[in-house]
Amino acid sequence: MSETIPANSGYMVAAYIATAVILVSYAVLLYRRTRKP
Amino acid sequence: MRLLGAGRWITAVGLLLLAGVYVRALAFTPIERAQGLAQKIFYLHVPAAIWAEAAMVLVGLASIFYLFLKDPRLDRFAEASAEAGTVFAAIVLTTGPIWGKPIWGTWWSWDARLTLTLFLFLLYVGYLLLRSAVADPGARARYAAVLGICGMCLVPFIHFSVYMFRTLHPMPIVLKPSSPSLPGSMLATWLFSLGVFTLLYVGFVIQRYALSYLREQLEAAGEVGHV
Repeated sequence: MSETIPANSGYMVAAYIATAVILVSYAVLLYRRTRKP
Repeated sequence: MRLLGAGRWITAVGLLLLAGVYVRALAFTPIERAQGLAQKIFYLHVPAAIWAEAAMVLVGLASIFYLFLKDPRLDRFAEASAEAGTVFAAIVLTTGPIWGKPIWGTWWSWDARLTLTLFLFLLYVGYLLLRSAVADPGARARYAAVLGICGMCLVPFIHFSVYMFRTLHPMPIVLKPSSPSLPGSMLATWLFSLGVFTLLYVGFVIQRYALSYLREQLEAAGEVGHV
């Protein structure tokens, strides 16, 4: 009996983009705040 | 300031290595048969959850020591750790529902693990708001320390909630007394990701600590108001 893998790549892409956006945004925010404390 | 420069470099290296985590997770780690590609969210969600909880434990420990020692460096570290923890908690609360929808069929469930994680995020926000609302540095540090200790007490309940309550959330598959229930290649990717999230936590905390220090110097010189 062949098993099919669920097609849900869109959720994975969304999670990976959201994580990158949050981390990069905070890194940029910190950089800007530390330039002008 | 050397500390600030070090924090920036560590963060930059962490972000570069995060790209490496993405490549390894997406191209060089096998697809889990039952969950499909959505399972790969695990490599971001779990390390972020570990650091969201660990950051609050460190806030609590620094707060306890601050109340005894009154060392401003401990208060500065607690503030920095709380802000970094808020970022990781935001990642957990974003990636969790995105993972939950295809696997559980719902974005959110008010079960113990999810609700307590939301409380942790709200506690972080409350902690940071409290700090910004109190002008006197001594009172600010004392009040924040008490809230930080309360936040630390929440963390064991979050971790053990899957054992204590009936919950949709799965049991731990890595952080548990027996050996991890993961194939070697998936475990290696997860450990790589955990290392990168650790580096990012360290970079964020060092920069935030340096920012607090610089602001205190400016406040003492009367050049800037409390922020």
